[in-house]
Amino acid sequence: MSKKKRSYIEFLYILPFILLVGVFSYFPLYGWVYAFHDFVPPKPISSETYVGFKWFISLFSNPVKTADVIRVMRNTLAMSGISLLFSWFPMIFAVFLNEIKSKPYRKFVQTATTLPNFISWVLVFSIAFHVFGSNGAVNKVLQDLGVITEPISFLKSSDHVWFRMWLWLTWKNAGWAAIMYLAAIAGIDEQMIEAAKVDGATRMKVIWHIIIPCILPTYFVIVMLNIASFLSNGMEQYYVFQNDFNRDWIEVLDLYVYNYATAGRGNYPLATAISILKSIVSIFLLTGANTASKLIRGESFI
Amino acid sequence: MKRLLSVLLTIAMLLSLVSVSAMAEGEEPIVITFYDEAANYQGTQSGWFAKVVKDRFNIELNIIAPQVVGNEVYTTRAMDGDLGDIVIVDKSKVNTLIAEGLIRPIDEIANCENLMRFKNQIDVYNKELTGEDGKYYGIPAEMTDTSPSTLTDDVIYSSPQLRWDLYQAVGAPEIKDLDGLLDVLAKIHEIHPTEGDAKAYPFSLWADWDGNDNMIGIANVVQLTTWYNEKIKGSAILKPDGTFSEIYNKDNAYYKIAKFLFKANQMGLVDPESGEQDWNAVAAKLSARQVDLLWYSWQVGFSNTAEYKAEGSTFIFIPVADMNFYADADRYFGADRVWAVGSKVEGDKYDLILKFLDWYASPEGMTFQHVGLEGLNYSKNEDGTFTLLRDDALALNLEVPEEYGGGGYSDGNNAINQWIGSSICVNPDNGERFPFKFWKSYQAWERENDKTKAGWQEKFGATTPVEYMLANGMLTPSPSVGFAPPEDSLDIQTKREDVNKQLCSYTWKMIFAKDEAEFDALWDEMVEKMDGFGYKELYEYDCGVWQVEVDAKAAAAAAAQ
Repeated sequence: MSKKKRSYIEFLYILPFILLVGVFSYFPLYGWVYAFHDFVPPKPISSETYVGFKWFISLFSNPVKTADVIRVMRNTLAMSGISLLFSWFPMIFAVFLNEIKSKPYRKFVQTATTLPNFISWVLVFSIAFHVFGSNGAVNKVLQDLGVITEPISFLKSSDHVWFRMWLWLTWKNAGWAAIMYLAAIAGIDEQMIEAAKVDGATRMKVIWHIIIPCILPTYFVIVMLNIASFLSNGMEQYYVFQNDFNRDWIEVLDLYVYNYATAGRGNYPLATAISILKSIVSIFLLTGANTASKLIRGESFI
Repeated sequence: MKRLLSVLLTIAMLLSLVSVSAMAEGEEPIVITFYDEAANYQGTQSGWFAKVVKDRFNIELNIIAPQVVGNEVYTTRAMDGDLGDIVIVDKSKVNTLIAEGLIRPIDEIANCENLMRFKNQIDVYNKELTGEDGKYYGIPAEMTDTSPSTLTDDVIYSSPQLRWDLYQAVGAPEIKDLDGLLDVLAKIHEIHPTEGDAKAYPFSLWADWDGNDNMIGIANVVQLTTWYNEKIKGSAILKPDGTFSEIYNKDNAYYKIAKFLFKANQMGLVDPESGEQDWNAVAAKLSARQVDLLWYSWQVGFSNTAEYKAEGSTFIFIPVADMNFYADADRYFGADRVWAVGSKVEGDKYDLILKFLDWYASPEGMTFQHVGLEGLNYSKNEDGTFTLLRDDALALNLEVPEEYGGGGYSDGNNAINQWIGSSICVNPDNGERFPFKFWKSYQAWERENDKTKAGWQEKFGATTPVEYMLANGMLTPSPSVGFAPPEDSLDIQTKREDVNKQLCSYTWKMIFAKDEAEFDALWDEMVEKMDGFGYKELYEYDCGVWQVEVDAKAAAAAAAQ
């Protein structure tokens, strides 16, 4: 087979994936045109509805509006930041899980912590409502014990809402996230650990000097992926937990876009404009992280 | 073996296909897609109402409910060019739908005898539309057969209603103002701290209706401003003298009512779940009688059953001396929604839909909607009038008689959730209005058995709440003119959403504020935020829009005199 022919055939191998990326990643960018029109369904967009950058400018037209955008950015960055800061948690969890010698118990812990990943956020909220609501289980127990007289509004208060959101997220995701690390640990050469033990290493020393260094590359890959989606911390969780009392602190970018796009008959131009801005900021973040990675580790991922 | 199995399977599959297609050749019902902004249920109508419709027209109703699946369904269906076969939409959308060719003219309704009982109202409405002149496009929902200036009902839409036995138990004091009302509620809360195992509260608030019904602000406040004759129109408050004022002006009723709820919370009278629960949770509490103050006239339906009436423990209007109520007269020209027919409908299907609509407005159709089933909800007297059998078929989901196909009454209830003729209309078949409280037979029962009403009438010297209000100069019904605001431009819409979000969010925080200083600080902060999001321009716009209605009402009132 000639080299040329072979390269054609090899191109055919990746063609389906190029098509998929085209259809699902590039074609939707066409929707960006709606940010430049006064689009009110069912009237289609036309040259009459074209308004240029009006919706982008409107976001920064006065201090109150600008402050609102900054508030949403602050929440987004804070909550992603907290997740990033604690991203080592599932790794450590996996390491300790791996140390449990009783197999049935280990399986039990792993199943119990993985299960919440499969519960939808709506159900998580309904659990939260019944457990932490003003007439929920926790308040009832505390009141019956005489610890408090007035119920504590866990769900209505905006105190520590970022941290509490992280706790919910961790409760839901930690077990699932640990699977990747467990796989990495399973891949460690048993001989290394045995050799260390022969040399007199304690359990902690094995963890510290062998297991963790071996799974660190996995950790870095996951951190990179997290940075790339730094601004997309999802909206379902915040959507179900938001209310008029905590919205100032819980509204993240994705939720902000969603709230605009679905309020009343839908404000598509403004919602689209905000998500375009989000994409642009994301590109800056990604290239920033890439440069940092090049400087620190000497290799980049783009 | 494997081959044998595969042959057998293939044969079985073919057979099943044949049998399915054979069945389809029978009396397959015609599916009518129903885009319905009033519905709280999405899917195919089932149960007794489905049977009623299928028996008469051989149609099946497939209901698309934006209230269930979100407003995006409007966008996608409208952009596709086919909203549905029958369409129920907000009045503000109709001109757009005509312009985009999504609904068709329905001139043939002129031949529909039942619909033509509302000819005047339908004519007036269609004249205002921007479609071709002289053509019919829409049928307003819930028209009445009275007049624009009558107030037929014996209660008004919103007024304070307390449980009569509890009000008696705290000494039935005269109430001067909102503070007096709070004192009474505090006493009631003291003697009625729990209902069954659960806690009871005078107030239980919900957040999921905020910003609805062309009114910005939280639903639990905007409704109560009518107690002081101030009605919210968009972002403005209509004062008793017919002028507009900003909603955030501290002299206006929005502030007064927000403060009222704040004080109630300070006194421990507000259910702590308020603001985190939705309407469904509150409805369950109303049915379980865990709430002591009701303010919508229809809320009494959750717990005013025959047994409680006999016990004298039903909810009823209790006058507060300084109140002056705003109430709309009968909605002669219809409510805020309109019935229309999708532009893709033609031929036999079109004829069938007109027949269905005409039946829907007929005495028989209206009896199914407003009264229920003969033998379950009511029985017929010799003179054609009705006698009430059960008033709790809906609440208890009673078993439906076999002739209507069985199943639960509430499960099979009419999911369209919107009428052409209002329930307040007179039933042409027997000369009585549809709600049972207007029936001779029921009124006779009531005189004998309703302890609440008897006690109330004795104490307040009037037969009905409306009569009391009119006699004491507490009520001026506002004539109905059928006005609907035009669709917002995108700029106005954006301002309205932003301002509403601020107003709602701050109002909730104020109701649960620690003290009065925090309340007022939040209020000032809110005014600044609302202005930043363009409240002033929005207010100017709304004043212009609603002035048209004010003028029309003034003209109607002058004409009525």
